[in-house]
Amino acid sequence: MPPLIEAHGLTKKFRQAVKEPGLAGALKHFFVRQYRDKLAVDHIDLAIEPGESVAYLGPNGAGKSTTIKMLTGILVPSSGSLIVNGLVPYEKRQRNARNIGVVFGQRTQLWWDIPVVESFNLARDMYEIPADRYKKNLGEFTEMLGLAEFMNVPAAKISLGQRMRADLCMALLHDPRILYLDEPTIGLDIAVKDSIRKFVRARVEEYGTTVMLTTHDLGDIEDICRRIVIIDNGKIIHDGDLATLKDTYARDRVIHFQLARPAESMAAICQKLPACEVASDGLRLSVRFDRFEHAAGEIAGAVMPLVEVIDFRIDEPEVEDLIRRVYLGQLSLAPGDEPELRSAKPAVVAEA
Amino acid sequence: MSGLRKYVSFARTSLEITFVYRAGFVLNMIGTIFYVVAMFYLWQTVFLGNPGSLGGFTWPEMKAYILVSFLLSSLLTWYDEWVMSQDIREGYVAVDLARPFDFQASRFARAMGPIIFEATSAVGVAAVVALVFGGAALPADPGRAALFVVSCALATIIKFGLVYCVSMTAFWTTSIEGIMVGRSAIQNIFSGALIPLVFFPDWLQSVAAVLPFQAMISTPALVYLGKLDAQSTAVAIGVQVVWAVGLLFLGRLAFRQAVKVVTIHGG
Repeated sequence: MPPLIEAHGLTKKFRQAVKEPGLAGALKHFFVRQYRDKLAVDHIDLAIEPGESVAYLGPNGAGKSTTIKMLTGILVPSSGSLIVNGLVPYEKRQRNARNIGVVFGQRTQLWWDIPVVESFNLARDMYEIPADRYKKNLGEFTEMLGLAEFMNVPAAKISLGQRMRADLCMALLHDPRILYLDEPTIGLDIAVKDSIRKFVRARVEEYGTTVMLTTHDLGDIEDICRRIVIIDNGKIIHDGDLATLKDTYARDRVIHFQLARPAESMAAICQKLPACEVASDGLRLSVRFDRFEHAAGEIAGAVMPLVEVIDFRIDEPEVEDLIRRVYLGQLSLAPGDEPELRSAKPAVVAEA
Repeated sequence: MSGLRKYVSFARTSLEITFVYRAGFVLNMIGTIFYVVAMFYLWQTVFLGNPGSLGGFTWPEMKAYILVSFLLSSLLTWYDEWVMSQDIREGYVAVDLARPFDFQASRFARAMGPIIFEATSAVGVAAVVALVFGGAALPADPGRAALFVVSCALATIIKFGLVYCVSMTAFWTTSIEGIMVGRSAIQNIFSGALIPLVFFPDWLQSVAAVLPFQAMISTPALVYLGKLDAQSTAVAIGVQVVWAVGLLFLGRLAFRQAVKVVTIHGG
């Protein structure tokens, strides 16, 4: 069976206006327009199988949204080939749209002025969802996403978290094969993030829905995705499974201790933890460790007899950090290289 | 046609929104009524100085002309143009494009939804104003009334076609307001909304004749009043059909082109 989504040499070029600064520049631009090409997506190859859940990551402006917009048929590629579910999205935009659900975190598809349920009813007619299936799905989603309390409230009057849940419901009412999520949890609190992630995961597990997700939140990826594709400057710089990526690039944890008194002897601590980076700043002490070599408890056990600890917390690496490391190639996938490369990392300085 | 249902749904939803903004609708209506009344007094004064007819219009005919102009101006207000261009500018078109419907058809349905309501209110207001001012000319026979309805329908499609084309410029420029004001000003002059085109000097009449605007108000008004003979009526309505089809087609072309080249924000 061919992949559900298949791209070869997919490229999107944008024309950017070049303006010189100041009034003179604006005036000049009014008469003589100058442009330069920007490669937003630069010859990417991508193959996604049915039922896969893929995190599509990259810094702002890396080309994530542009790729998603090409996959959904919104943007026409400048060159390269693209097939989604047997269709060329931009040629058969409407037919492609029937197979997909899209949630743009920054843009709602709900109608602003009318009750949320009316937007759902519009989706029913738009996707020609049979009445019984619509009723079943709406009932199920209302229950799972807790939509009942604001179902009859206009979208303009609901909170961001409610809006996002309603948007997700609307994107899935027609049981699409593919779900595109463009920063679905941006600006949401933990509880809402959690309910959204659970819901999406259930779709993947129970219905085999294929999910492609862009996000800046590592939690989204861990809860939903098995595979990670990283794009930067329009090029794919990493494509592999999440576990391997995390074990290789995100194995460091930092444990921060809040001390009652400044540590008397740093040397003693360093001696007990030779494979870790220890940094201190007055009443703060932080230890960076490899979670495959030490358990957090071991570190705490080693530090606590030497200093008086009031409080401590553990930091997981952030997505941006992960991407940066992949990008910089500070760590190699070959485990043998590790000790040498570890020392190349910047020393940890506890936040002030 | 099963595909029609979603567009009916669009129209219904759009009508519902008109009711949400009922205060705005009522205020807009009141504003237009003041304008119509002012026009009435203005022309009444003109006709007092020229009893009989002026440019081929009698006073009852002129009253009818003003009311027809008012009726057609009440359909498809600036709101549609504004919402459409805002949606384009803020990138909401991306949301629309990821869903299974035709963009132009959906916007057409959304514009048409409130029309029944707009037309009913406008006809009601026109009837009251006509009564207060001692009656206005009515179509001579049912056949002409029917032709008038057809001509109004075509005029509305042309207006949509034009508004749609103007909104498309939002893909290329961020100063859509200026273009909207410009369209409205040109339209007021060349459609015959302010004064019947027969009062224009010949050269200006020739200019008006080749523009789409006269098909939006002047043609339906002249059909209503029976100012055109059978052949001229057929030609005038034919011209309306050409403009309607032409502008809808131009709008589709502009949209397709826009989607091809436009930069929708975000990376």
